[in-house]
Amino acid sequence: MASRRSAGDSAGPPTHSESHAASHAASQSTPVRSLADDLRTRSDAELAALLLARPDLARPVPAGFAALAARATTRPSIQRAVEALDREELTIALSAVVAAESHPQGSGLVTEAAVRALADGPAAAAGLTRLWERGLLWRSPQGWHVVSTLVDVLGPHPAGLGVPSREINPRYAACSPPLGPDLDAVVADAPPAARAVLDTLTWGPPTGSIPASGPTHDAARWLIAQGVCAPSGVGHVTLVREVALQLRGGRLFREPLQPPAMSWEPTLDPATVDRVGGAHARDLLTLIDELADRWGTNPPRVLRTGGVGVRDLAALAAGLDVSADEVNFLVELSRTAGLLGRDGSPDGIRPEAWVPTADYDTWAARDAASRWAVLARAWSVSPRATHLIGAALGRGTTVGVLSPDVSWPPVRAFRQDVLDVLGAPPPGAVATPEELAAVLAWRRPLRDRHTTQQVLAVTLREAQWLGVTALGALTSAGRLLAGGASETDLASAATSAMPDPVDHLLLQADLTAIAPGPLDGALARFVRLVSDVESRGGATVLRLSTESVRRALDSGMTADEVLDRLREASRTPVPQPLDYLVRDVARRHGQTRVGGATAYLRSDDESLLSGMLADRTLAPALLRRIAPTVLVSLAEPATLLDLLREGGYAPAQEAFDGSIVVSEPASRRAPAGRVRPDGEAPAPVLDATLAQAVVERLRSESRPGHASRAPARLQSESAAIQAILRQAVSTGGAVWVGYTDSDGRSSKHLVSPWRFDGGRLYAVNGDTETVFLLHRITGVAPA
Amino acid sequence: MTDGPLIVQSDKTLLLEVDHPTAQDARRAIAPFAELERAPEHVHTYRVTPLGLWNARAAGHDAEQVIDALLRYSRYAVPQPLLVDIADTMSRYGRLTLEKHPVHGLVLHATDRPVLEEVLRHKKIQPMLGERLDPDTVLVHPSERGHLKQQLLKIGWPAEDLAGYVDGEAHPIALREEGWSMRPYQRHAVEGFWHGGSGVVVLPCGAGKTIVGAGAMAAASATTLILVTNTVAARQWKDELLRRTSLTENEIGEYSGTRKEIRPVTIATYQVLSVRRKGVYTHLELLDARDWGLVVYDEVHLLPAPIFRMTADLQARRRLGLTATLVREDGREADVFSLIGPKRFDAPWKDIEAQGYIAPADCVEVRVTLPESERMAYAVAEPDERYRLASCTPAKERVAETLVARHTGEPTLVIGQYLDQLDTLAGRLDAPIITGETPVAARQKLFAGFRLGEIPLLVVSKVANFSIDLPEASVAIQVSGTFGSRQEEAQRLGRLLRPKGDGRTAHFYSVVSRDTVDADFAAHRQRFLAEQGYSYRILDAEDL
Repeated sequence: MASRRSAGDSAGPPTHSESHAASHAASQSTPVRSLADDLRTRSDAELAALLLARPDLARPVPAGFAALAARATTRPSIQRAVEALDREELTIALSAVVAAESHPQGSGLVTEAAVRALADGPAAAAGLTRLWERGLLWRSPQGWHVVSTLVDVLGPHPAGLGVPSREINPRYAACSPPLGPDLDAVVADAPPAARAVLDTLTWGPPTGSIPASGPTHDAARWLIAQGVCAPSGVGHVTLVREVALQLRGGRLFREPLQPPAMSWEPTLDPATVDRVGGAHARDLLTLIDELADRWGTNPPRVLRTGGVGVRDLAALAAGLDVSADEVNFLVELSRTAGLLGRDGSPDGIRPEAWVPTADYDTWAARDAASRWAVLARAWSVSPRATHLIGAALGRGTTVGVLSPDVSWPPVRAFRQDVLDVLGAPPPGAVATPEELAAVLAWRRPLRDRHTTQQVLAVTLREAQWLGVTALGALTSAGRLLAGGASETDLASAATSAMPDPVDHLLLQADLTAIAPGPLDGALARFVRLVSDVESRGGATVLRLSTESVRRALDSGMTADEVLDRLREASRTPVPQPLDYLVRDVARRHGQTRVGGATAYLRSDDESLLSGMLADRTLAPALLRRIAPTVLVSLAEPATLLDLLREGGYAPAQEAFDGSIVVSEPASRRAPAGRVRPDGEAPAPVLDATLAQAVVERLRSESRPGHASRAPARLQSESAAIQAILRQAVSTGGAVWVGYTDSDGRSSKHLVSPWRFDGGRLYAVNGDTETVFLLHRITGVAPA
Repeated sequence: MTDGPLIVQSDKTLLLEVDHPTAQDARRAIAPFAELERAPEHVHTYRVTPLGLWNARAAGHDAEQVIDALLRYSRYAVPQPLLVDIADTMSRYGRLTLEKHPVHGLVLHATDRPVLEEVLRHKKIQPMLGERLDPDTVLVHPSERGHLKQQLLKIGWPAEDLAGYVDGEAHPIALREEGWSMRPYQRHAVEGFWHGGSGVVVLPCGAGKTIVGAGAMAAASATTLILVTNTVAARQWKDELLRRTSLTENEIGEYSGTRKEIRPVTIATYQVLSVRRKGVYTHLELLDARDWGLVVYDEVHLLPAPIFRMTADLQARRRLGLTATLVREDGREADVFSLIGPKRFDAPWKDIEAQGYIAPADCVEVRVTLPESERMAYAVAEPDERYRLASCTPAKERVAETLVARHTGEPTLVIGQYLDQLDTLAGRLDAPIITGETPVAARQKLFAGFRLGEIPLLVVSKVANFSIDLPEASVAIQVSGTFGSRQEEAQRLGRLLRPKGDGRTAHFYSVVSRDTVDADFAAHRQRFLAEQGYSYRILDAEDL
């Protein structure tokens, strides 16, 4: 289609028939003949607006205006620009394209009047200016010009219109299409079947398939004969564009454009919205801290695909007592905000795992509002599209959390759109998801409806978890986020919304502790250590149990320290059962001790052992007494034996079960041998099979096109095997096939493959056909 | 930000800070729809469940009141999903009603047609329904009234039963308030029940549930069937009714394993009704023997499954359930709701104690250390033997002796699970013993002696758990229990909570073996006590 308009945006000769001219361009001294010229004449602010509207033009920085214009007219760039148009702008763009194609002079020239007539509603001048700002039009003293790529991008049937009459192959066109009163006459004369066809095609799509016979077939023939329709391909007709436009009454769309109405009801008190949002924000911080705690001590493995396992997520969801969706969100958000990272050695000795980053510690030490601001900002610009999680990837796999497949940069624009729409009305206004979906469809009519729905649902859900929205309305902080405010501003908005942290606990005799509000800092960390969360919300119910107290003792605290800390945090005395619990756990804590040693040394003669401890020649063994009759050492048993013998002692070696090991001179052995790693069997001795293969090869040498040498080396890599076999099947060439049969015997065959599928190779081996199973083929080589 | 006493958690629990100035108002506001789950000293936990919300609907509260109560008393913002969920759940109750049609008899009527359509298509419900009378009404087989309610509750569309009750055969019954009078909460309970038609009254042990039963019978003034847990309880009901009402000996019958009397007021045991021969319940005729105007279920939380099935057929009669707790360890709370009725009255333990109707109790857990040899035996024992080993250590006998000596002169019960242990203890303490094998007559004689103060000390097995009235027991020493049963703990504590003549404190001792499963189970029971608001202490046996 691009070729149809040869002189479009780059070298169109200026024509003087149009009186309409853009004032800005007219004021310039150089004549504007292309988009590049137009761009050159734009002011800095206009250029900046263009780059903001189409960021892809700015990266990397273009070399000049010609380069910028070239980039701005590439198909992908125009495609993106068109997808960002709202319904009204799109209507103007379609009108401009249709007007340009029907303009007598061609060359993409468009008159405002033509656009106004076609668009029937939206302010044409303003709309054209908006398109110009986005570089989809350029203007010359003659008027507006459509960028030719725009015509391509909007497709061959803009607004459901068929081909213009001048593009119809004259061979098929019975006559030029009737227009004006002629067309009215044709329509009036049309038989009912033809009228039905016209009615169907008028408002698009403009092409219909025609049965091989019957009344519709006859009607189509009649319409073609009248020049109203043109054949397009076998069995199809297209309504001629000019005809369709007249039948549509000169408008592009049947219904006048009507932006969707939002009721924005009910309107809530913005303070309530902020308060609920603040509570959500608080919850989020608590959950992320707990996530970091859990994964810091018990990190999940990084999967081969880069994600995290479903089981780990399920365990986390159970532990945090949140839904699977919310866990996915929390994990992705932590990663996006840089609070979660991969750690492990590449050699696989320490497997890679997802753990909190060092940044997490910095983040955790900040005040709640700033922490929230970091998360909110990270979320708003995140390319992670969580609605993709769980989507099928083919071959039974699905998109996993934290895997690269979740990344989908367009989601940022989607998300920003949702926030923009929510931020439009005054604070406190509530929108229903249905209304939002309608507005989003108006804003971005070319986006896939289904995807929009999905992203909208997920975005609303996540915004609520974040506290960006609450009760269906945008919070003050959310409003700032939508406007792209800095983290500092976000934090100050969040500060006033979040509930104040509390500095005390209520300890109860049923061994629960209740924090009647959010906890911060050191107290929060202590509480996480010494208790388990039982329920979460405005307050936190914590349970102290044997296990949780033991955890605190394991971390090095003493019973008195735990109790002092509890007493300090509590406004009421520590209940007696709690005191008893802590002391009871402490009583048993450390009663049994576990340590590591590489060798032990025991003897019933206690003084002998005392002597050994004092013996300097045994110092390298690092002996330590753990019982009157037992010493342990960090030296290997063999080394210890040697040291003792050198020192003049007569030790005997003991096996783990206590029996005496009778030592013999040791001689080393390698582990049981394995076949060569490349899987190729060593060169076989000449046996009957091999001899046969050689003979066959000799025979095949004589066949034309089958000249073969002894195989240099069989390819044993699976991909190579398949490639060679496919090649051989397609060219009809012979190959050497190394094969292990069901009894484990290896053999080589020189064969001519003729078919290779379903894991089987069908080949002719001399006169007989043989089937080789692919998984038994050890290697192949072209003969 | 308001400064209310209530904190709403995301898991649908409500935390009530009891020391807050408006805590009492908040408690009253949430009590109709939230179940008190734990009541330790500072913060009480209530839980909002669908059953609780439907109970509230049945009592005439609507979602707006519930949400208003939450918003008014909540300290922090109430999670939006919770409010939506409450409104949704409550709106499900009453969209279907069971009504009496003047021509067709029992019908199911819907105010929401799609719900009726959904129900009509349900596999299990379809067979219970008959002809469709009009788009919103469908005929119900009268015999399916109970089953239908059960099934509808199961699929989340609880029906409101407006079909009314048969009056039954009239029989004059009056309360004889001579020298005593009904306590205010008992009167409220009777009114709540009578007004609601059928339902459950929840009162703690010792709060006088029998009197509520008698009050309900007086209100009905009709023939009454009373179902109780065992024979001893049956005799006590009879004694109590004779004492409190105008009923005479001849009007009250006992229907049990030994006697089969059917009289205007008949007291039957669950056990006899559950007896089956060749797969047939042999005593079902009792239910139809008279035209009962009222059926009373004692200890509803123990109601066995067969009785539930029979109750399904008694839906046209007024039903009163009495219990100390709606918590059933088998989780059949929903059946209680649909077959007996919604909760009509509930008074927390602590409130009644505060009014002076229940004795205050001092709960102490005494931990004994197993001697070396027993620790060894315990360590090598099979897991299923360990509890018995730990429970029956002789160390406990010494502690029991010390405690009995300390409370000489006070009526004391020693309660245990294992008969060998109890026999030994009875021997050492020189006290009479009551077990399941003790004949009823002997049992009653011993109880009477205990009541009169002739016998100051009794050793009892778990038969003492239910429905025996021991007015003056003020010390209980529990040497072993049925694992971690919370119900049992409640019952045993209940033994002590009858008001004492001189207002002294009751003592409840649990003796447990340290570092064994016994201590683990004890911890479970102790937690229950603490949750009920009883402070308890843990002492080492050496410190006694």
